[in-house]
Amino acid sequence: MVQVKKLKDGSRQIILTAKQFDEITKVLTELASKTKASTILLADISGQLITQRGNTDDINTAILSALAASDFAATSEMAKLVGEDAKFKLLFHEGEKRNVYLSNVGDNFFLVVVFDVSVTLGLVRIYTKKAIQNLLDVFETSEMGDDAGKIIDQDFSSMLGDMLDESFK
Amino acid sequence: MFINWALQEINLKIVYYGPGMCGKTTNLEYIHSKLDPSLTGELVTLKTKEDRTIFFDFMQIEVGRIKGKKPKFNLYTVPGQVYYASSRKIILNGVDGIVFVADSQKDRMEGNIETLLDLENNLMAMGHSLETFPWVIQYNKRDLPNTESLDILQKKLNFFHVPHFESVAIKGTGVFDTLKSIINQVVQHVQRQL
Repeated sequence: MVQVKKLKDGSRQIILTAKQFDEITKVLTELASKTKASTILLADISGQLITQRGNTDDINTAILSALAASDFAATSEMAKLVGEDAKFKLLFHEGEKRNVYLSNVGDNFFLVVVFDVSVTLGLVRIYTKKAIQNLLDVFETSEMGDDAGKIIDQDFSSMLGDMLDESFK
Repeated sequence: MFINWALQEINLKIVYYGPGMCGKTTNLEYIHSKLDPSLTGELVTLKTKEDRTIFFDFMQIEVGRIKGKKPKFNLYTVPGQVYYASSRKIILNGVDGIVFVADSQKDRMEGNIETLLDLENNLMAMGHSLETFPWVIQYNKRDLPNTESLDILQKKLNFFHVPHFESVAIKGTGVFDTLKSIINQVVQHVQRQL
């Protein structure tokens, strides 16, 4: 299971193991080859990019996932306002050269698929649906990673402080 | 917070919150202009024609590897204007630390208090509270005439005694001190939670 920890103060911490990450990458690689999507991103709903596939050199994917997460969240609020109880599950943006397809993956993640207008939407929908199921299966696999305590220790904070001083000169 | 063991990445989300025109975007613009381009990505701003933030500003900072781990800081601002309440709520999703930017001018005190209450309400809806959540206050626009004294600002806004900074964001005064402090707060908070 992907560790989605609720901490004492209510904040959320998501931890992904190396194995889960590999499997997620495999699912996205397959989706990219089946749909001929130019770019695929998996991000968490707060906008943090998890992984990417396809041509990502020309695109700032950190920004794309931040924008997509907000897009998704804004649509969910719209759903509430118009009296839709469930969240809208997908979003589709149609362009002249590229289309963008966004779909949620469980409650904590979403996929962004960028593809050429020559690819039919139906095809993207079918393979994305399958990929989402595979991703949910990966998230369910019960393997626990080390928790944040192993990374963020006293040593880490003091080194981070030094690096910030160095960068913020 | 999002930790990716395969890439050894730690992602943290920091949100600049405050009333309209208090200088949230200016903070990010200053950071972006001063940091080495290798450490920061593009600054995205979603603005109206009048240069007011309509949804958010975003930029990512990296400071290199620490003990093999790569911390990444995602900085966001919220739109300050009162009627963008839903947008502010959305941007707080998954937040790890908050910089509350207050406008030091005397006639903006009410706006500061109103926005702080709005922040507390939004945090409570997510199961947090200002009492325990990592946040810092930045008293901005200290160079303007007609600013409130630090003492009064502290009494009216800093009731949980979080770290505070006086700033002139447009000149960069106090901007990096604030950012460094919130990053420290977040990291210490993570340690305390474990």
